[in-house]
Amino acid sequence: MDIQIKNLTKTYNNRKILAIDGFHIPSKSFLGIIGPNGAGKSTLVKIIAGLDTPSTGCILYNHEGLNQRINRNMTMVFQKPYLLRTTVYNNIAYPLKLRNINKEEIHTRVQKIIGEMGIAGLQHQKAWTLSGGEGQKVALARALIFNPSLLILDEATANIDPSSIYAMEDAIKCYYENNHATIIMVTHNIKQAKRLCNTVAFMNGGVIEESGTSDEVIYNPTKEATKTFIKEAFL
Amino acid sequence: MREIYEGIIKSIELLLSLDGEIYRIILLSLYVSLTSTLISALIAIPVGIVMGIKKFPFKQGMIRVLYTFMGLPPVIVGLVVYLFIRRSGPLGNLELIFTSAAMIIAQTLLVTPIITGLVYNGTKEGGEKIKNLAKTLGANKTQTMILLIKELRISIFAAMVSGYGRAVSEVGAVMIVGGNIRHHTRVMTTTIAMNHSMGQTDMAIAIGIVLLILSFIVNSLLYRFQQGE
Ligand SMILES: Nc1ncnc2c1ncn2[C@@H]1O[C@H](COP(=O)(O)OP(=O)(O)OP(=O)(O)O)[C@@H](O)[C@H]1O
Ligand SMILES: [Mg+2]
Repeated sequence: MDIQIKNLTKTYNNRKILAIDGFHIPSKSFLGIIGPNGAGKSTLVKIIAGLDTPSTGCILYNHEGLNQRINRNMTMVFQKPYLLRTTVYNNIAYPLKLRNINKEEIHTRVQKIIGEMGIAGLQHQKAWTLSGGEGQKVALARALIFNPSLLILDEATANIDPSSIYAMEDAIKCYYENNHATIIMVTHNIKQAKRLCNTVAFMNGGVIEESGTSDEVIYNPTKEATKTFIKEAFL
Repeated sequence: MREIYEGIIKSIELLLSLDGEIYRIILLSLYVSLTSTLISALIAIPVGIVMGIKKFPFKQGMIRVLYTFMGLPPVIVGLVVYLFIRRSGPLGNLELIFTSAAMIIAQTLLVTPIITGLVYNGTKEGGEKIKNLAKTLGANKTQTMILLIKELRISIFAAMVSGYGRAVSEVGAVMIVGGNIRHHTRVMTTTIAMNHSMGQTDMAIAIGIVLLILSFIVNSLLYRFQQGE
């Protein structure tokens, strides 16, 4: 999905926390958004996901405004995802039920994805008994299962232990490569951005200070703020 | 205190006596209060949820009015309904006065703000997250509403239990619009009030105990329903 951001601003109580004149996320790109706390990263991706409205400006998805068809084709995963008060299986099956897919196919697709993500053993467990990291895996599986062409991840792999992080990253990478999806990933882990993303944007004070290929932004930043941020991240 | 002891004995005797009248009173009570709770729930659940997740003008004012209506004295509700449905009132030709329908109307008015307010409170807590999740997974408006009801079922049931408790225990409204007519609009609370005023304290206590037992049974059923998936 191609995303075009135009003159976007967001103001809370007279404080402008987001001001992006223009930004283009081409179809099939894997964009990493990095930046300090309070930079406006979550606000930006929530607006892209249609969960928040901009104060001014607009976003075009494949050259059109947000509508139900586009909404059905994108998703967002949060750091602290909301899990439905039911089993892990039903949580992951839910997006397919919404799309009136038959039971057998739901079963096949759920089994496939929980196998890939290594959470098959959890499928009958009640979602509210999961650990934080397990919950994040379930949320990722639930997001990938309906093949959205835009996937937004807001610190979706924070709290994950080092061995599981690779399993989650593999799932995301495989998804990206097999589905030609567009992925936007907010992360505080610069190494993760380097491992996964092909473009990176550095946000600070509500603006996109710098963007380019991962190598450009991470190894050869031009702006002072980016340099400092990246240097500190690698210390 | 002797009355309470005698009341307990009497309540057991009463239930075992298989006296038709007492069972009719109990059934009418249940019928009137459960029907008004259900009608209220049909209105209050969607309204409470929408109030909890939507922003709209005068919301704060509306919520204050709602909270006030949650504590409405039953006699006042009874009186207002009475003024509307008495023979000379604007709805007099419907001939509702002193019928079980009148009691249901009064209790519905009494209970709807209670369920709405409690559902609103429950939705305010977790509704936004549920709504956002539904949206990110591609749910349409109806599917979102269904998901909200499903996910908030615990607070919704708690709200309904409170509403039912209020309905079945109030006496002022049903007394005014129902009239405590024997074999017709006599319910448990009006029987208790009448027995008390006639000095039959043991009988009043006995029916009070029956009321408590029934409350316990209804709540247990609702509780089991709420626990199940
Ligand atoms: N509802 C709100 N009301 C007022 N201010 C808000 C609101 N939501 C966000 N903000 C402010 O907007 C700024 C940007 O917040 P945002 O959550 O987008 O930052 P972030 O870049 O995601 O930070 P983090 O890395 O900590 O997640 C913050 O200063 C925050 O306090
Ligand atoms: Mg954030």
